[in-house]
Parts: sequence; structure tokens; C-alpha cells
Amino acid sequence: MGSRALLLVSSSLLPKNQFLPNFNSHRKIPQVLHRRRSFSAATTAGSSLEPLDVPRLAETARISLTPQEVEEFAPKIGQVMEWFGQLQAVDLESVEPSIRADTEGDNFRADVPETVENRNAIIAAIPNYEEPYIKVPKVLNKE
Amino acid sequence: MASTIFRSFQTHPFVFHPTTLLRRKNVLLYCTMRSEQTQTATQEKVKPQVKVSNLNPNKKLENISKDYEAVIGIETHVQLSTQTKAFCSCPYNYGSQPNTSICPICMGLPGALPILNVKVIESAVKVGLALNCKLAMNSKFDRKQYFYADLPKGYQISQFDVPIATGGYIDLDIPVEFGGGHRKFGITRVHMEEDAGKLMHSDDGSYSQVDLNRAGVPLLEIVSEPDMRNGIEAAEYAAEIQRVVRYLGVSNGNMQEGSLRCDVNVSVRPIGQLQFGTKVEIKNLNAFSAVSRAIDYEISRQVLLHSQGQDKEIVQETRLWEEGAQKTVTMRKKEGLSDYRYFPEPDLPEVFLTQDYVDGIHNSLPELPEMKRRRYEKMGLSMQDILFLANDMNVAEFFDTTIKKGADAKLAANWIMSDIAAYMKNEELSITEVKLSPQELAELIASIKDGTISGKIGKQILFELLAKGGTVKGLIEEKDLVQIVDPAEIEKMVEKVLSENPKQLDQYRGGKTKLQGYFAGQIMKLSKGKANPGLLNKILLEKLNAKS
Repeated sequence: MGSRALLLVSSSLLPKNQFLPNFNSHRKIPQVLHRRRSFSAATTAGSSLEPLDVPRLAETARISLTPQEVEEFAPKIGQVMEWFGQLQAVDLESVEPSIRADTEGDNFRADVPETVENRNAIIAAIPNYEEPYIKVPKVLNKE
Repeated sequence: MASTIFRSFQTHPFVFHPTTLLRRKNVLLYCTMRSEQTQTATQEKVKPQVKVSNLNPNKKLENISKDYEAVIGIETHVQLSTQTKAFCSCPYNYGSQPNTSICPICMGLPGALPILNVKVIESAVKVGLALNCKLAMNSKFDRKQYFYADLPKGYQISQFDVPIATGGYIDLDIPVEFGGGHRKFGITRVHMEEDAGKLMHSDDGSYSQVDLNRAGVPLLEIVSEPDMRNGIEAAEYAAEIQRVVRYLGVSNGNMQEGSLRCDVNVSVRPIGQLQFGTKVEIKNLNAFSAVSRAIDYEISRQVLLHSQGQDKEIVQETRLWEEGAQKTVTMRKKEGLSDYRYFPEPDLPEVFLTQDYVDGIHNSLPELPEMKRRRYEKMGLSMQDILFLANDMNVAEFFDTTIKKGADAKLAANWIMSDIAAYMKNEELSITEVKLSPQELAELIASIKDGTISGKIGKQILFELLAKGGTVKGLIEEKDLVQIVDPAEIEKMVEKVLSENPKQLDQYRGGKTKLQGYFAGQIMKLSKGKANPGLLNKILLEKLNAKS
């Protein structure tokens, strides 16, 4: 699943080494990111976020971390959040809040059925397939 | 079909559960009394029409219930009957072989991107307009994130804080047998989302099985205001939602198939208290009757706990309705609220609606059930007739066509509700499948009205028309069914029968006046059912009393 824009969210976890904060890059922030309103349930209105809780973050993302890794990641994640935190400095007084960061128009599909060509390949890629079902471990609780 | 089943439930509510007979009556009494006293802006008074039963084992509960008011809200998920899923071109057919309608998009395989189906927006706008909502001209999709085996992407594409429709209401009429009355319930919001797959647990519990045919099927979630006050109102709300989505043609609204799912939220509070009580969610409701009974049970459960001072025992939780045991039971207690980490779906653009687009849809809406009911009311039909006719869009259409051809509304309604409905039930046909056309029904009614045929003959012709089609005029001619209205001809038949039955004639003269029926029957038989009954009896009586 590709993602085109990543908005500021308190609990997103970035892959290692992909996003090193580089305060000296002077990269121009794309116009579209100037208009931001966070609607995430986790953030409070305005600028303050919950204090970083890496174990809880890992739990919600279903990623297991050793205590060492927790210690190692905490400051790195904190730095990424601070980097995004620069956006708080933008004066939004005279800006219309927008719902989304994208300004592209509609992208629709007609309601016409199409059968997929490579169903066999899809089925073959399923780790545990017991015809006709996908076999999974028993999990009682929805999160 | 489900609606006709419900209709029959409504006319015989006590048949299936005699043990709950008394409880039902009590709750009904409680309900009607409650409805009288609680005046919310959206409700009207209900006339209490239930007699207090003498045998009353639940009288204690009934007395306690008087002090409490139930507050009920319903979340309904409507599965849209589009040709393809919401975000991919996979078809959806209920009952297909598992995992045959899948693709990289609905399976959440890496790199796949969703593309919105136009019909989903169209359906959402239709429903929003039908429910008198305010439409959001700009709305968006969000990711609702959680992990579960039937959710391939690890998130559900839904709408969180900017749903496509908000702040509407729905009008309905409570069936006559439950007290009648008009109601207006608020609709908080309507939004678009996708369905998850199906998860089944193995018999020994050691593993589970997933079928992703249903993953990605478009849903509309309709959330009501907590305006309902008892099981009947809630069940009727659900039934009206079903009517509306069927009228609009956006869903087949079958609870049994899972294309209409209701989750109910119930709380109670002492009369007069403004603060809501603790809310309990009830799931696993598979029929409107279950909705009604589950709510009534839950209200009783909560009221009982309150009355025993144990209202702290009522916790915010999800309970399951057990159809067998006829009670709600705890599902696992949740530890804290779910954190779904909503954020705007980056892979889907904003949803823009133009006023032209909305107007176009608005103008294409059919006459909705509420409008039909009010129109039929103006025609002078009884509420019972109105509710029957407006319940099924096709029946209403049949009725409308019949009266357009000039038939009297009340007569047309009677034919449809009695003989035609009985035939449909016996043969398990819908009104669109019977061979009788509305034009011919109008013709039949006219023929009876102007005396061409008698009412009895009319019924016979009807049966033939339903089964084989044809025209009224044709059948009358073919079977020589024209009513005999010539007094002279009838007189001849009367005299013949009287002369052939001297013994009975003497008995009649002797005082056995009941024998008039016997003679009438014989004369009718002689006339092959064609004699006008009124004229027949008049002449018969004359002859019988004349010679004495």
C-alpha cells in the first residue's frame, strides 16, 4: 500500500534509517503542507502532543521491541517528531482549514465488474491456505 | 419477502413465544405509559390501547419500570448492492465460493491502491437526501486502524470526522397493533466505509478461517440520535430504514443475509434525570423481532439492577443477544476504549459534491415511504391499509397503477390486502410475479361496481387472473359469467326451486325461517352463481311470504 503524504500523527512509526532529520537541508516544504489541521483523535487541539510512549506505540503497531531497542528508538522518534514540530511555527490565522492535504480532483471508477487475471498467483502467495479458506491462528479479541 | 414476514409478525406478535406473552403485554403497557409521559421534541403522544391483564406475574417489574425511561440509539450498516466493491472491480455475490472474488486491492497486497466506485457516492447521497440530512459538499475518507484476521490491510477505510451526511431525521408510523402513532427520529450521521471479510472459527478452536469475498464491499453506516424509547420504536425504525434503502434501490436490506445489520445501544435513567445512564451495546441481532425483544430484555435487566440499588453493575460493554435463551449476555469486557488512530486516507482524494450533482440525484428520487403514507392518508385509507401498501415498493406501485385506472382506492386496497396477498403467500410469489395486472384489477373492480358480475364471481375470476393472466372481459365472455339482474328470469328460477322443494317450503311456512338460506343457495346453484344476490333474496322473500 503506497502512501503519498504522511501527516503528523502521534503514533506513526517510521522504518529505520529512512528518515533522518536533517536540519541543515533547507528543503522547501511543499506548498500543500502549509495548510494542516490535525483531526486525529489522539492529538489535542493546538500544539501539544502526548508524551512519547514507545512501548505503547510498539504495542499498537504490533512490533516487538527489546528494552534496548526501546531505549535506542525513543530519542530518534522524538527527533522526527520535533522535526515535524517545526510546522507549528507557521501562522495559520488567515488560512482556511482544509480537510485534506491533496488538491487533486476526483478519481472515480465505473461500477463495472472485472475478474482478476492472476488469482492463482494470489492464492499461491497465501502463507497458509486450506482450500477454500485462508487459515489463520485463533485470535479471540479484536483490538 | 422479509418485509412480509415482518408484517405477519406484526399481526401475530404473540404466536411464537407464549412464555413471553405476559411479559410482552407488561412491557407494552410500560411502553405506552412511558410514551405518554415522556415528551421529547421529536415524539408525539401515544394513546394507550392496551388492557391491563389480570394474571400479572411481572407486576412488580411493571411498577418499577414506571419510574424509568429507556434511551435507545441504533447504528445500522447497510451493504450497498453495487456491482463491484467499493475500491476495486471485484464483483460481490452473496453465497459465492470463498475467496473467489478477490484481487490485490481488496486483499491489501503491497503496492495496491484503492479507487472509489462512483455508485458508492451516489448511494450515499441518495440515502442522505432520503433521510433529510445536510450533505457535506467536501468530505474525506479516513483510516480506522486495528488488527484482526478479517481486515487484510490492517485498517478499514471509513469516514471519521467529516461524514458525507449529518443531522437528518426519519418519519415513521408505529403499526396499529402496537399502539399506532407517528414518530420522528433524528439521524446523527451517514458515512461510507468498507466491509471486512468473514472470519470463522474451527470446531476445535485451534485455528480460524478467513474468506475475503466480502472484504471491501461498500457499506453505509447510519447512526441514529438516541431518540427511541422502547423495543417497538427501535424495531420500526430499523424496518423503516429497510424500506427506505429498498425504495431507493441502493440495497436489498436483508437482515438474514447480512445486508442490513443493526447494533443497538440501550441505557436507562430515572424519569426526570437529564444525564444519560450507562450505555450498553447489543450485537448479534438477526431480525427485527430480535431487535425488539433484545431491547425489551435489556431494559428490564437494567431497570431491575437499578431498583435493587445495583446500577453500578451496569457497565459500558458489548453484549450479545442469544436467540435461543432470549437474553443478552456479556461478550468479553473491553479494557479501555479502542484507539483507532484515525488519519485521513492518503490514497483517496477528497470527495467533492457539486450542487448540480446533488440536485440531479434529488430529482431522481422515487416517492419515499413516508410521502406515500401521507398521500394514502389523504385518500382516506385506514392506517392498517396504508402500512401494508407502503411497506413494499412493488405493492404500492401495483396499487397506484390500479387506482390510476380509475378504481376506488378502498376497494383496490381490500383486494390487494386480502385475496391477492393470500395468493402471493400461498404460492410464494411477489406481486411482480403474479399474472394479474393492475389494469385488470381495475377492470375487475369496475365490473363488480357496475353490476356486470357479482362479487362472488369476481373472486373466482381473480383467482384465474392471478394464476393464468388474461383479461376480465375475456373471462366473463368465455365462461358466460354476466350477472343475472333480470327480475323475471330470477323469478322463474325462484319458482322452480320452490316447486322442487315442497317439503322445505312447508317447513319454512311452519316457522323454520332459516331455510331461506337453503333456498337461496339452491337458486344460486341453478343460476350457476350468476344471480344477483340482492335481487335474488328480495324476490325469494316475496315469494316465500306471499303464499302464506
